[in-house]
Parts: sequence; structure tokens; C-alpha cells
Amino acid sequence: MIDTASAVIKVDRVSRWFGSVVAVSDVSFDIGPGITGLLGPNGAGKTTLLRVMTGLAETSSGTVTMFGEPVRDNPPLYRRIGVMSEHETVYDFMTGRQFVKMMGQVRKVPNIEKAADHAIGLVELADAQHRPMRTYSRGMRQRMRLAATLVHDPEVLILDEPLNGADPRQRVHFKRLLQQLAQSGRTIVLSSHILEEVEELADTVLLIINGKLAASGEFRAIRAALNQRPYHVRVIADSPRALASMAVNLPSVDAVHIDPDGGVVILSRNVLDLQMELPRLAQSGSISLRRVEPLDDSLESVFGYLVES
Amino acid sequence: MGTVYRLALRQLTGKWRLIIMTVLAALPVIIAGIMITSPNAPTVQEFEVGVLGAMLSGSIAPLVVLAIAAAAFANEVEDRTLANLVLSPLPRWQIAIPKLLATITVAAPFIAVSAFATTYIAFLGDMKAVVAVTVASIIGVALYSAAFIFLGLVTTYAIGIGLLYIVVWEGFFSGFVTGVRLLSIRHYTIALMHGLDPRRLGYLEPPSLLTVSIISAIVFVGFAYASVRRLKTMDVP
Repeated sequence: MIDTASAVIKVDRVSRWFGSVVAVSDVSFDIGPGITGLLGPNGAGKTTLLRVMTGLAETSSGTVTMFGEPVRDNPPLYRRIGVMSEHETVYDFMTGRQFVKMMGQVRKVPNIEKAADHAIGLVELADAQHRPMRTYSRGMRQRMRLAATLVHDPEVLILDEPLNGADPRQRVHFKRLLQQLAQSGRTIVLSSHILEEVEELADTVLLIINGKLAASGEFRAIRAALNQRPYHVRVIADSPRALASMAVNLPSVDAVHIDPDGGVVILSRNVLDLQMELPRLAQSGSISLRRVEPLDDSLESVFGYLVES
Repeated sequence: MGTVYRLALRQLTGKWRLIIMTVLAALPVIIAGIMITSPNAPTVQEFEVGVLGAMLSGSIAPLVVLAIAAAAFANEVEDRTLANLVLSPLPRWQIAIPKLLATITVAAPFIAVSAFATTYIAFLGDMKAVVAVTVASIIGVALYSAAFIFLGLVTTYAIGIGLLYIVVWEGFFSGFVTGVRLLSIRHYTIALMHGLDPRRLGYLEPPSLLTVSIISAIVFVGFAYASVRRLKTMDVP
């Protein structure tokens, strides 16, 4: 994916299994500066992979190195890494500022007050910094956790589902902040199960499905493949046979069949055109459309398509 | 190290935990008061074996320590905040040892006051006995703390397993099987009480002060070392 010489993180043939369950299977990739999205449906193995990459969990086989050093049992390396896990638990009895300072102190940050000011300023929570964290909204907790992750100015940021709980305004701010950090040369790994989230942020993408690296590379190439993906759309109408015979002639339609329940299933590679053509078609044939539903719009099916392609 | 110690102190001093510990620590004192005022007061031997040996050293001290030590790591493993410390450049011993010290700091005053007051009341101010029982109890707290800190790192069921250990091992087996006493913190505490005041608890035939001091040191250092090792090798959730 990137030039091996510029790789900051190297994951080499890493597997991790729990008993008979394989969570991560023979995954290899290199990550360099910039934002890399770790994308995959829930349960795909993203969190396990991130835990292995940060040294929180042991690999069953394979190695993970960062800056050429092993990540496991290597505390000095954590001066250079900031990790924000998906778990939102915080020390409820602390104020936001106390939490950020505590995280800075255990990371041996020299001028802790200044560093805390800077980190809290980055996430725009200065006004709420002296409130106990138990009073924070979910989005505020996430932002203060990000401040705590940034307080020691790490070169590598590993963020597991960081946008969980953030409202739209916070998301915009968060994305802008990550982009600034990436532009300053940091290596950022960001996991998400939301395709659009990663699309807006990541230059490169690692696609994890069922514990395996299903695809990797520039997001644009993956997105181009996605746009070529055929969609199945199921239409319930009062005259399914008439609708099917007319729909098969539409330019946006690749194939049509009627399912056992009487629904018309249309295969299309151009859903945008289909959305406009279908109502016109129904109107011209005096056909009532009762329901139009995508059959394979789940993230899993999107990922499945990318894997097949 | 100071940051982890202060964090642990704050985590271990929740209101309800302190109330429970206060109630537990008050029990031997109340019982000692009832015993000496009762017309059927027990003999000195009955008091030493029943209250100092079984209740204070074998039940109250381990229960108080368990309530605290189990929280030192097990709660952080359960709520997944342990990663905040593990993902820092601190050597693992600088995480495990401050938590152990914080556990002792919180538990020891309760047991020390309980041991002091119980013995003072029962032995009518015999300061040699009071000091012996108090010092031995504090050392017992340190040993139980080291053991239960380690337990909190190997299982999320530390409270349940700790209770089983207190009831079955310290309460049952060590009372009947002589050999088990060499592996019983309760009996180390009894031996220390006897070693520091030879008039007390001699009928339980405890090992010498030197022997129990060496064993206690080995147990404390051993569990502390095992906790550090465990923290290095475990998967942190």
C-alpha cells in the first residue's frame, strides 16, 4: 500500500484467535503518515486488530512494529503513540481537565498545565473543562478523551470509532482537527464501520471483513468499484407482471424478475437514474407503486461486493 | 508513580466501600466490648483464638482488603479504563506497585484501629499485646493486599474467588490441616502476633518470628512480582 521505507506501522502476517474463534487472520499491511481508515462491519475484527497494533493484546502469530520497534511490552514507545479506544468509560469523579492532566502526567509531559490548555483548546472544551466528566454528554466525553489522547503530542494516533456519539457539529470539528493533525505529518489510524465517515477523512483504506484484509489502497479506487456495484431493488406494485415487462426496457435496468411473493426485483447499476425513471414508468402504465426498497444496502453487502470485485 | 497512587486512592475510597469497611472493622471491637462485660466472659485463650485468630486475622482483615484490592485492578479491567495506564510509558511495576501501596494505605488504618481497639478493650490496656496485634494485623493487611491485587489481575471474579479463599482456605482448611498453615496468611498474622508478644496465641504452635518474617517477605514480594509480570503479559481489554 505504501512505500515500505516510509512505513511507521508494520503489521506482518498477524493472526489472533480466541480458542476456536479466529478474530484476525494472517493480516499484513504497512501504514505511513496521513489518515488511514480501518473499515469493516461490526464484528469484522477491527477492534481486535487495533488492540494488537497498540500492544494491548498479544498476537497469536505474526509481528507488529512501530518506528521499527515491537509494540508489545514496550512502554517507552507509548510516548510517541496516542490511543483512543472505543470504550467510553472515563473516571467519573474527575473533571475533564483533571483527566487530561492525569493522562499527561503518566505520559511524562513536561509542562503539563500548558499541554492540557493546548489539548483542551484543540477539542474546544475549555468552557467545560472544570466540570465533572459525569455531567458531560457522550459527545463531550469523546472530545475530552481525544484531548487526553493528544496531550502528549503523539506522532501516531490510533482511534477506534472516535466519532461515536458525536453530533453533526462535533463531527465536522473532529474531522477538521484530524485533517490538521495529518497535515502536520502525524500517522493516524481511524476505525469505523461507517463508509462515508472514512471516505471523508481517510486517504487510504484498509478493509477488514471476517478478520481478513479484504482490500487496501486509496479510497477513490475502492469507491469507484463501489459505484459500479449492481443494486437489487424490490418493488411492490398492483400489476407486477406489467411493471416487470416495462421495466426491463429501461436503460438503468440490467435485469428483472418476479419473486415468489409477487415483488418485482430489479437489478440496476445506476440507481440514481432508476429512482427517476421508475415513477414515470409506473405513471405511464397506470401502475400503483406501493413500496420500493433496496435489498442489499447494508454495509455488509457493500463490503461483500468489494471483496468479490 | 505518584499519579497512579493518587488515582488509585481516589478510586478505592468510594463512599459505600468506606461504609462497608467501617462496619466490618467495628465488629471485633463491638464483640470485644460485649465479651468483657458479659457475665459469661470467655477465657483469654477463647478470645485470642476466636476473636484475634479467627475473626480479626481470618475474616475481617481479608474481607476488608478484598473489598479494596479487588477494585484496584478488577474494576479497571471491567470498565476498561486500565488501558489508560497501560498505554503509557510507565514501566509496569510503576502501575502495579502504586496500586498495591494504595490498597494498603486505604485498608491498613481500618484494620489497625480495629486491632488496636479490640485488643485494648479485651486486654485492659496491655500495650505490649496491643502493639503486637496491631503491627501483626497491618502486616497481614499488606500480605492479603498483595495476594488480592494479583487475584484482581487474573480474574474478573476476584470478589467471588477471594471469598471462597477466605472461607474455604483461611477459614476451614488452615484451621484443621497443620501443613496448610504454612500457606495461610491468617496463620502468618497469628505467628507475628505471637512473635511480637510471646504470651499470646502460643497454643496454636505458630512458627518462630524469624521464620514467619521470612515467609511473609517472600509471599509479599512474590505476589507483587507476579502482579507486575501479569500486567506485562496479560491482554488488556
